Amino acid sequence: MEINVRSAENVKILELAGRFDTYTADTARQSIEQAMAEEPANIVVNLEKVDFVDSTALATLVHGLKRSRELQGDLRLCHLQQSVRMVFELTRLDRFFEIFAREDEAVQAFAR
Amino acid sequence: MNPLPLTNTVRLELPAIHKYLNVIGACIRAMLDREQGLPGQESLFYNIELAVHEACTNIVEHAYAGISGRIDIAFTLDESLRQFIIELNDRGQSFSLSDVVAPDLSQPQTSGYGLFLVNQLMDEVTYFPQQGNNRWRLVKNI
Repeated sequence: MEINVRSAENVKILELAGRFDTYTADTARQSIEQAMAEEPANIVVNLEKVDFVDSTALATLVHGLKRSRELQGDLRLCHLQQSVRMVFELTRLDRFFEIFAREDEAVQAFAR
Repeated sequence: MNPLPLTNTVRLELPAIHKYLNVIGACIRAMLDREQGLPGQESLFYNIELAVHEACTNIVEHAYAGISGRIDIAFTLDESLRQFIIELNDRGQSFSLSDVVAPDLSQPQTSGYGLFLVNQLMDEVTYFPQQGNNRWRLVKNI
């Protein structure tokens, strides 16, 4: 998995690419934790180039979501591919994450 | 139960480690690519791959639990029944499927989605526990 980290308007953007599964989840978890090291813990995870997520990937994102909210921030998702979105819907995690169609929408939502 | 039509069976034998579970999806896609007119092809491929991946992850983490082992996988396309059947065999520890607690979907969870997804994504899921020779049978109607 490749992870590109950028900043915009007090928000850390993690752009993930490839397969997000049990084998690669630890890399993602470390990147999310590093991004939350600086306050505010406002994170956008861009999943546009992620073509596979498994239950460990979901757990990794849920852990990041809970941790960011403990730190008065949030972890938001954008650009989910249709198959990936289906997994969020099946597990009803789409009700707990704020999910945006576009990255700029997700970033701008932190300003509200 | 009728014997599976072996002319439409492809077998894989993998080490029980997470690293090579990505091979499974390629095999599923290659087999189902030969079938004409499958509805919702991309989501069908994804759903089967994710279910098999989660069952194999369970084998790696619970049946073998850190001990080296192998997973035997047989993919069978039953053209008469319009079913794609995946059988997984391991030689690790058994468990009771009925003891697995379903995740509480009213709250986000940090574990427990794996077997839930297997059951949601497949049409039939059967586990035959036998210490040292456990077998999963996953069926998807296509």
